Amino acid sequence: MSDSLENRNISDKLQLLILDDEAIVCKRLKPAFQKAGYEVETFVDSASAKSRINEKRFDIVITDLKMEGDDGLRFLSHIKTISPETGVIIITGFATPETAKESFQKGAFDFVAKPFRLNDIIDLVRRMEKRIRSGA
Amino acid sequence: MVGLKNVFSFFRPSKPIVPFTVLFKKFRSILVKNNRILELMADMGDKLGGEYVFDRQYIVEACDRLNDLVFKMISDLCILNQQENVDLFIAFERIQHEIQEELEGRHAFPVTKQTILLEDLEADSNDLVGNKFATLGKIKNILDLQTPDGFVITTKAFFDFMEYNGLTKYIEATLPPREHLDDDFLEKLSHEVRERILKGKIPRTLAAHVTAATDILSVKYPKSRLRFAVRSSAWGEDGEYSFAGQYESVLNVPSKSILEAYKRVLASAYSMEAWHYRMQRGYHEHELAMAVGCQLMVDAEVSGAMYTYAPLSTENEQMLISAAWGLGPSVVQGMAESDTIFIDRTPPYRFQSMDVASKEMMLIPKADSGTEWTQVPEALRNAPSLNAEQMEKLAQAALVIEKYQKRPQDVEWAFDKDGKLFILQSRPLNIRPKEPEKMLQYVDSAGNDQVIFAGKGVVVQHGIAMGKAFVVQNEEDLQVFPHGSILVSRYTSPRYSRIMQRAQGIITDIGSATGHMSTLAREHRVPTIVDTGIATQVLSTGDEITLDATRNTVYRGIIKELGRFELAGEDVFEDSYEYRLLRRILKKINPLNLVDPHSQDFKPSRCITYHDITRYIHEVAVEKLINLSEKYQQYHNTTPKKLDLSIPLGLVVIDVDKGTNVAPQAKRMARENILSLPLKALIQGLIESGMWETQPVTVDLGSFMSSFTKPATSTLAHLHQQGRNLAVISKEYMNLSLKLGYHYNLLDAYIGDVVNNNYIYFRFLGGVTDLLRRSRRAKFIGDVLEKFDFLVEVHGDLVVAKIKKSSRERMIENMKMLGGLIGYTRQLDVRLTNEHQVSWCVEDFLRRIQATTEVSHERFS
Repeated sequence: MSDSLENRNISDKLQLLILDDEAIVCKRLKPAFQKAGYEVETFVDSASAKSRINEKRFDIVITDLKMEGDDGLRFLSHIKTISPETGVIIITGFATPETAKESFQKGAFDFVAKPFRLNDIIDLVRRMEKRIRSGA
Repeated sequence: MVGLKNVFSFFRPSKPIVPFTVLFKKFRSILVKNNRILELMADMGDKLGGEYVFDRQYIVEACDRLNDLVFKMISDLCILNQQENVDLFIAFERIQHEIQEELEGRHAFPVTKQTILLEDLEADSNDLVGNKFATLGKIKNILDLQTPDGFVITTKAFFDFMEYNGLTKYIEATLPPREHLDDDFLEKLSHEVRERILKGKIPRTLAAHVTAATDILSVKYPKSRLRFAVRSSAWGEDGEYSFAGQYESVLNVPSKSILEAYKRVLASAYSMEAWHYRMQRGYHEHELAMAVGCQLMVDAEVSGAMYTYAPLSTENEQMLISAAWGLGPSVVQGMAESDTIFIDRTPPYRFQSMDVASKEMMLIPKADSGTEWTQVPEALRNAPSLNAEQMEKLAQAALVIEKYQKRPQDVEWAFDKDGKLFILQSRPLNIRPKEPEKMLQYVDSAGNDQVIFAGKGVVVQHGIAMGKAFVVQNEEDLQVFPHGSILVSRYTSPRYSRIMQRAQGIITDIGSATGHMSTLAREHRVPTIVDTGIATQVLSTGDEITLDATRNTVYRGIIKELGRFELAGEDVFEDSYEYRLLRRILKKINPLNLVDPHSQDFKPSRCITYHDITRYIHEVAVEKLINLSEKYQQYHNTTPKKLDLSIPLGLVVIDVDKGTNVAPQAKRMARENILSLPLKALIQGLIESGMWETQPVTVDLGSFMSSFTKPATSTLAHLHQQGRNLAVISKEYMNLSLKLGYHYNLLDAYIGDVVNNNYIYFRFLGGVTDLLRRSRRAKFIGDVLEKFDFLVEVHGDLVVAKIKKSSRERMIENMKMLGGLIGYTRQLDVRLTNEHQVSWCVEDFLRRIQATTEVSHERFS
């Protein structure tokens, strides 16, 4: 693992991974989060995102739920196995109470229905950042 | 309502097949669906503002829901009007099919056009006319900057020409796969294809279309000898790759030689260099489509190019102008010495440095055709080719384009002998910064002491605006609105369309994201936040501010990092496929064409969008319900009751559930018998405000006479019949159709204890005077309702206003106000002889209604 969360310097940028099979979501979120001061990598297929997760530790992951191949919930489980402290936000256009419940059970930090406001998701990530920085 | 009369003529009084309660249920269901459709349409429209992240899945699902609602709404109508409504189903199927085609990526490409006039170009015409002229079309038709007039020979013409001359097949058969292609072969092929194009025959229809286009222009410019600049505009050109200088332009071409020049431009697409350029960038052969623009030559005194971002270090933000006497190519192709000017990016656009070259030669048009080099007159050689005023004009125009395109621009321009500025073309300038880290310094709104307010309003159009605030309070302020300022005002107004081009951004205290102004702000891509509540209190004219309408934040001072970030970003949201798809689909959903129910065109076959269909059904359903309740009194268990009032309102009430306290069979009732909350409040406002008796302030005899002399033909006669006004009520509900003279109020409201169920829907249409006065009255109504927080849409003389989810008490006050408004507007159109009176009447009404409604008392005292 390249850097561990505990030894992070307050001025270090948080590492963000975004996975959504619709490129438009990545294209919109990447510059918005860069502008907000994060280091961002985006993926449109879960296989490449998964192999990247195995190489590098991310502080926060934002992932779609329904995708070709591994779906968001399996991806969530995978992250939680290899990097339990990574915070995960699930974004989906098929929001149901059942999937939301399952996401939380598997350790998601929050569950956001698409379409969402850019501001709302950035605020959400800011809240996660606070928890990470305070070592909660 | 001619269409309706036809519909009703099928339906002679006889016992209805369906019980009245079922018909009424269908009527309610139509209203509910209508509201849901309007909400969904507004929701989809909001997504174009850029505040939301949405994907293709969202578009697909929203369309599915709309399809379903519109279909069911027509089905409901079939029960209500006992007809098959085939025309409506056909209109529905057609629109649904068009939407489906768009979703599947086969967008309705107008295949028939071989030429198109520049003034007819719409926003999404890249496929038809190539990027260069699609951009020019926007510069001309949306941004309203001057460009040379002309037309485009479309990509459709290109395909026709290539097909006609057997070239499509020839290239397909001869071009080997890329891995087997060597330069020698490509050179031979390039030569052969160009020869064939130059010798190629022009299809007859194409020749005819080109002649037609030049004829139109020669009628438009009768005094000039038409000479054209014939320029390439291929797919992909000026897009991600510039293709700068790859394709040929031919200058000073007379009408009769356009087709020869056309072939030269087409042939240039197959030069060895152009072919290589495309292949290296991964273009497939079938992705080449060459439209060719024919612009009238500008009699240029001085021309050149301008970069809105000079290639300087990031601290040093300036624009760069290169200018020389005569025609443009001397500068653009670097063929002669030119003046180099660095100029500020902010008003008043002072120049930082000017390097005046010794300009020996200049390019001028030859008398018959073509161009030639000539000596620059001695006196001009070492003189600067631009003055300060021209630089300012140029700077303003270039920044208007940059602001719209959200990319730094490389603009080709010319000033003619009369000093008029023409934009010849504009393409994105790639300024990926040398020091990305510096460029991408982030600005955090949280805890930033420069933040004036954040998260207060509703984002209408995302983006960054930097400049001085300018508070607009009245018409006069609009006239002196300075270029490049940020408009700050209490309300939104469609009148701001006039300054859209000059405004960097817009911030208002009150307003909705779905109003007319919001549509305009999106079309012009002006970063806009409405409904902030406090903008005019905390911002003053002259304050330097930065508006981040993506993060919904207003900062003190100019925060350059935010602006740079936007211009250097990888993708422009408005250029994304999903944005364009949603925009194209909304064109088939949102625009309202069926505005006037009295018009001949108010019929199903004229429904072009879903909005048209729903509007038509709504209108028919209300008419039908009135009709049914009158004709079948004996078949429903509540007898219609005439409401006795001190004013001649002529209102008949049908009580479907606990709306009155009189016996079901009673035929008359008094005001005291009303239990229905919405009706009770409305009548209270109407009577107690004393507005009904309002006398015209300025009597304009002419327009009164015109209303008296209007022929009372059979189609109009029913408008005067008393007893045509109908209220269907229950304890919490009211649906009121009120025809007063020649105008028509429709009110649909539910007011109860559950805040989320409460709503008022109000529609107003028509009048007796000319459209201008009726529009003034519509504007008056819109202005008043916006002050009471209604969501208002005004289309000509149609006003649609909605408010929902307010408390019971608040809704009751609103109904009282509407009662007053109905009284006040009764004859208002004849009083509104000028625009000034609109605001006078708004003030007058607000003052007078205070006594009747407590809410307005709080708000305006």
